[in-house]
Amino acid sequence: MFVQPKREKEIKPSQERQQRNTSLQQLGPKNILPLGYKCPRWPIFSPYSFSLKTPRSTLEQSRRDSRVRQTGERRDDDAMEAPQSSLRSALVFSFIAIAYLSLLVRSATLSSPELQILNAERRIDLTSHIIRVYLTLKVENTGAAPASEIFLAFPPAQVDHLAIVKAAATFGKKKKKSYLPLDVNPTDLPDAPNGAKCFSISLVSPLKTGESVTLEVLYILSHSLEPFPIEISQSESQLVYYHDSAIILSPYHIKHQTTFIKTSSPKVESFTRVEPSDRVGTELKYGPYEDRHSYSFSPIIVHFENNNPFAVVEELVREVEISHWGSLQVTERYKLVHAGARHKGVFSRLEYQHRPQFSGVSSFKHLLATLPPKVHSVYYRDEIGNISSSHLRTNSKKSELEIEPRYPLFGGWKATFVIGYGLPLQDFLFESPDGRRYLNFSFGCPLAETVVDKLTIKVVLPEGSKNPSAVVPFAVDQRIETSFSYLDVVGRTVVVLEKENVVPEHNSPFQVYYNFNPIFMVAEPLMLASVFFFFFIACVTYLHMDISIRK
Amino acid sequence: MAQSVKPISSPVPDAWYPTLAVFMLAIGLVVTASFFIYEATSSRRHRSLAKELITGAVASVFLGFGSLFLLLASGVYV
Repeated sequence: MFVQPKREKEIKPSQERQQRNTSLQQLGPKNILPLGYKCPRWPIFSPYSFSLKTPRSTLEQSRRDSRVRQTGERRDDDAMEAPQSSLRSALVFSFIAIAYLSLLVRSATLSSPELQILNAERRIDLTSHIIRVYLTLKVENTGAAPASEIFLAFPPAQVDHLAIVKAAATFGKKKKKSYLPLDVNPTDLPDAPNGAKCFSISLVSPLKTGESVTLEVLYILSHSLEPFPIEISQSESQLVYYHDSAIILSPYHIKHQTTFIKTSSPKVESFTRVEPSDRVGTELKYGPYEDRHSYSFSPIIVHFENNNPFAVVEELVREVEISHWGSLQVTERYKLVHAGARHKGVFSRLEYQHRPQFSGVSSFKHLLATLPPKVHSVYYRDEIGNISSSHLRTNSKKSELEIEPRYPLFGGWKATFVIGYGLPLQDFLFESPDGRRYLNFSFGCPLAETVVDKLTIKVVLPEGSKNPSAVVPFAVDQRIETSFSYLDVVGRTVVVLEKENVVPEHNSPFQVYYNFNPIFMVAEPLMLASVFFFFFIACVTYLHMDISIRK
Repeated sequence: MAQSVKPISSPVPDAWYPTLAVFMLAIGLVVTASFFIYEATSSRRHRSLAKELITGAVASVFLGFGSLFLLLASGVYV
């Protein structure tokens, strides 16, 4: 478990670390590991995983205290406890043996490249309820083998809320910077302590010994600002906690690091001080810190005011219906909630409208949806009926739909609605060189600055489509369903894509490929013509039949 | 990649849908009328089944396509 600091008084972790280091020196760390082995991943030296050593050090301390009380003077350890010292040396020796064996096994299975981070700079953007962290790392290869992967570590509390991790290698300086995007995949480092989860960045060309590369990493956290107080009234402002570490958690040794935190307003109630730290207006600076071991972690809490709209869509179902006769119909069903501090007490409409700068500062009533250009037949309705408080502004690049739910949303309040619109087919449906057709559409939620907890996209392909497959730039769950619509005999195939924890950075295009023979389009008018022909046949039969009784 | 992709659109241009619907339905109804007039005016012995069936088939094709374009013109993209 990562150590959580108490909230009443400030913590001085530097003093704690000094105490722990002195106890380590008493045990004799030089005897535990073979000399000359520099291990970036051995957890014993990290300051927080001291559980291995505390029982023994406290046992020694209590024994020493009892002796001081009895004799009144300090005695040498070895002279007084001969039988216990032999037991202790046997334990130390077995420890050395196990450590050496495990080192041999590890070096036999993989020649681990020794990497270290020369300079790390982290900028945390807390202005919105979606937290964006920009990490600039300068990684150097100090080992013997070339490295093709660089690992990033995250504490387990943050991994559940990680929406996206992107990495790019930068070349050049200042004006001439060029970015090369790199693949990031979640991996499992077996010796990561206390459940830290790791991601590996695959480099395009392996990093040779002595070389260094500069990486820029962006990762986005959702639902990580904890409102405190949990319930506020209409006239109060919203304050939130942000939990993180002053020292960047990394599997590598970091020589020099700084962390900048940007809050949304200059009103910061409190923040944990880890020297050297400073605060100017909306920016907090932790650092610079020198020479921190791998997996070092120093928990901090920042308590500040954030009145940004905490708009969270709990569930979004987007249905895209393709019709080869010329239109794309999109229907979106939203379940919107305000995920900030819950509202308590009464809602006074008079106070809300009379003094907007003091009342309901953390609530929101407008939402902006960005739709593709050339959109037509836009509707916005809910269970009751049409909602008329909306505005549509179109131009040649995009269309903006500004919607207002029937009531302003305060903490914990929900709203459910449906937005639908039509789009011309030729902007989105294309033919690929190998003869397959594909739909090029954008994934993600059109609402600006919202987090979607569960997003489902259903692409309804016309009747007669075969071999559907989806190509999405990130991991999604895919499945196929069948749905029935106008003039359907066998049903239409539906490609269903599901993803959790979607942020606006996921608004990138995806493709759905399928095979379609154009002759199937004639099936629909022929079906209608056959119905009319059946009617004519019935007329002919009736007129040819002779049902008179008398001959 | 961008040069070789070509957008797919409807085989019949969108703007023609209402015009096509009206004309096809009109022709279909005229042929239906001629079918029923033939049925009413000819006597039972001089009726030719082939003529009836052909008139019926032509009328049903025009009426079928006309009703399809009517559905498309009114916004039900089937």
